[in-house]
Amino acid sequence: MTNEQTSEILLEVDAISLSFGGVHALVDVSFDIRKGEVRSIIGPNGAGKSSMLNVINGFYHPQQGTITYQGQARKQMRPHDAAAGGIARTFQNIALFKGMSTLDNIMTGRNTHMSKSLFWQALHIGPARREEIEHREFVEHVIDFLEIQSIRKTPVGRLPYGLQKRVELGRALAAEPTLLLLDEPMAGMNLEEKEDMSRFILETNDEFGTTIALIEHDMGVVMDISDRVVVLDYGRKIAEGTPEEVRTNQDVIDAYLGVSHD
Amino acid sequence: MFYRESGQLKSSYISDQAMFPIAQDRWFVIGVLALAFLVVPFVINEYWANAILLPFLVYALAALGLNILTGYCGQVSLGTGAFMAVGAYASFKLVGFFPEANFLIVLALSGVVTAAVGMIFGLPSLRIKGFYLAVATLAAQFFLVWMFNKVGWFYDYNLTGMITVRPIDFFGIQITGPEATPAAKYLFTLTVVAVLALSAKNIVRGRVGREWMAIRDMDIAAELIGIRPLQAKLSAFAVSSFYIGVAGALYFAVYLGSVEPVEAFDINQSFYVLFIIIIGGLGSVLGAFLGSAFIVLIPILLKNIMVGGMGFGSGMAGHVEILLMGMLIIFFLIVEPHGLARLWQIAKEKLRLWPFPH
Amino acid sequence: MAFDIFLLEVIISGLMTGVMYALVALGFVLIFKASGIFNFAQGVMALFAALALYDFLAEDGWFFAVFGFTLPVWLAIPATGLIMVVLAWVIERTVLRFMVKQNEIILFMATIGLAFVLEGLGDILFGSDVKPLDIGIPQGASDWLLDSFNLYIEQLEIFAAGTAAVLVVILAIFFQRTRIGRALRAVADDHQAALSVGVSLDKIWVIVWSVSGMVALVAGIMWGSKSGVQFSLSLIALKALPVLILGGFTSVPGAIVGGLIIGVGEKLAEVYIGPMVGGAIENWFAYMLALVFLLFRPQGLFGERIIERV
Repeated sequence: MTNEQTSEILLEVDAISLSFGGVHALVDVSFDIRKGEVRSIIGPNGAGKSSMLNVINGFYHPQQGTITYQGQARKQMRPHDAAAGGIARTFQNIALFKGMSTLDNIMTGRNTHMSKSLFWQALHIGPARREEIEHREFVEHVIDFLEIQSIRKTPVGRLPYGLQKRVELGRALAAEPTLLLLDEPMAGMNLEEKEDMSRFILETNDEFGTTIALIEHDMGVVMDISDRVVVLDYGRKIAEGTPEEVRTNQDVIDAYLGVSHD
Repeated sequence: MFYRESGQLKSSYISDQAMFPIAQDRWFVIGVLALAFLVVPFVINEYWANAILLPFLVYALAALGLNILTGYCGQVSLGTGAFMAVGAYASFKLVGFFPEANFLIVLALSGVVTAAVGMIFGLPSLRIKGFYLAVATLAAQFFLVWMFNKVGWFYDYNLTGMITVRPIDFFGIQITGPEATPAAKYLFTLTVVAVLALSAKNIVRGRVGREWMAIRDMDIAAELIGIRPLQAKLSAFAVSSFYIGVAGALYFAVYLGSVEPVEAFDINQSFYVLFIIIIGGLGSVLGAFLGSAFIVLIPILLKNIMVGGMGFGSGMAGHVEILLMGMLIIFFLIVEPHGLARLWQIAKEKLRLWPFPH
Repeated sequence: MAFDIFLLEVIISGLMTGVMYALVALGFVLIFKASGIFNFAQGVMALFAALALYDFLAEDGWFFAVFGFTLPVWLAIPATGLIMVVLAWVIERTVLRFMVKQNEIILFMATIGLAFVLEGLGDILFGSDVKPLDIGIPQGASDWLLDSFNLYIEQLEIFAAGTAAVLVVILAIFFQRTRIGRALRAVADDHQAALSVGVSLDKIWVIVWSVSGMVALVAGIMWGSKSGVQFSLSLIALKALPVLILGGFTSVPGAIVGGLIIGVGEKLAEVYIGPMVGGAIENWFAYMLALVFLLFRPQGLFGERIIERV
């Protein structure tokens, strides 16, 4: 299940610092993510984990540091470049399009792959229609994979929390991402839902070879499915390594137990 | 019981994605269209055309346009009146330059001109949202109306400031001017509106429509999954303005025959169309038609009841109309923000069970 | 020399008009600050207040018809204030309490509906002809200024400026220093959160809309005294929008500064650019100015920066 062989580096962040006014969200953080691995980012609340994902995604622009993705180094990422480059993500507080159905939401994930012009769409024949069908097929595979066939026409605003999270994962998967960023995908779920979600994540990694960066609070899940872990606290990296290494690291234990820092 | 979909199985994505997937809906729409195209032209008269059907169609088209921008893409606009003016004046000047041109081409070009203007005034939407954007569109509204009033070139330096349409024929049949029959005007407008409405339905269920709705629902997330806000918003402004421009041209050339900018295209017009889409249902093609029917009929009903029946002056009827509009807006926003279109949907859902209670 | 005086008069005239705009904008800011609602009906409220005041004072009004006497000014104004409180209560009960969780665009459109309701109601109850409003504010130019500095400025406008200044100070203190002021700001931020800490939303809203109604009354008095009570008063509401854009929707001093800038800007544009393009620039100048501001400084001069989080 875990990827042991050393493979190439897909994403590297180097000396990233990010602040908002006087608040230092990230301070001099560096780590890398290897192709095909599941890399977890953990840390106490407020450690800067979501900010890190936002930097990778291009939503936040760091004041310092470099982001190197697929060999190309940048001072900051632009959201559209990230999406076009195969980075997809889910959000901590579910960012689904509440006015649309499950199917439509996941279809928006295909957006970067669709391009037929407005004119053909107005007529809905020929190229636009073929494109729509083609992508619909792909999206149906995603729906099958996530076992959400029965809710495909339901407006997502009406779905329970756990299913919404699944739909959001579907939207990210629909983009056929090279790098998948998951921000607390299991927050608020019960044991059964967590098991399902873990299974989906692992299968995505196994079958499609998608590299996954995962923020998660449930230590059991982290230990089970990650290849490597990065630990953040107060915006800094305090440890990294395999789950075993991190679990026994004294600094990490201190951070979680709230031992005061200097 | 009669409205059940049982037995209607879809075996291909094509049929699942059809415009009207439920057979009963399909028949209903075909029925309405048949009535509209085949029956009405033979029974229509001057009053019905000018007081009810033509304004209904023209406002429905304008409402479609505004709904695309505000209902589907979430960009609030109070400039509808001014954009209708752009379409009207564009058609006026175009007919002046090319009197022999086919009027459909004139309409299309008027729409394109309005689309261009719409995109320019839509540029601020990239930085501004919500009611801030509404204020920006007010700039368009007031400036454009002022411009059409002041700059003589637009109205061919006519002393009254009004523009009047010249008689135009469409493959031999008069559709504007005093010779045009109500049936001709009606059929022409109906065809244009029907074609554009079907196109609108196609667009909103395709990629671009989804982009618009994504921007409306959560524009940050939309950007983060790769939708380009610039292109999505500008395309919404462009398509919306195209529709509104064509509506404005029809409003001027076919429905009214002559207009004067301050009165015909002022901010009250913008509110009028906004009310249509609120009452009809934001984000719904059907809603534009339901809302337009509703709003066009109310003043007529009021006049008939109050002036004809109860003997009030027409001024008072006008005041009551304003009061009633306001109350209806508030009522709909509280009770059913998705307007008549949603009520229609709920009625259909109840119809599935009828005559059983649940 | 003559040029300087003219320019000065134009500027001062613009400032005075600006104060009038600011009075209406103040009402907006109050409601927005305290309930997050953008009250499109603010201008119509000013009109409605002026109409009600006129009704208490005049012999062709309902009050006289029912009670047989008219009220003196010092009673009529508080009586109208009371009417505005009742109006606020009615608005809260019939509209606001049903719209607690709606998004801001829906709320905005509801206030457009409200504006139409008040306008229709005003027309039906009081008729739509122009009514003169005289509550004893001295009319005519200030003789002292005319004699000493050769400046022509209306006493009414000086009075309005003074009143506005006093209002601003009172409101600023109210929001910054009092307990209720803080509660109001909490409510504006998040309705549901405020509810969950025990803030009584409906009471707060009635208070805010009443205060805003009072401000509308003052605005209505000033405008009504100047040009008579008529429908065009409600159009001022639309002009207040650019004022708010410039000043920032949440800032009391911003409403004043914004109003002044718009007032002066409009007048200058009309006088100096107007003749070149046929006049009536005042129709759209304020909005274009606001548009420019929106592009470069969306939160206005004094407003709070909008930060988006994901």
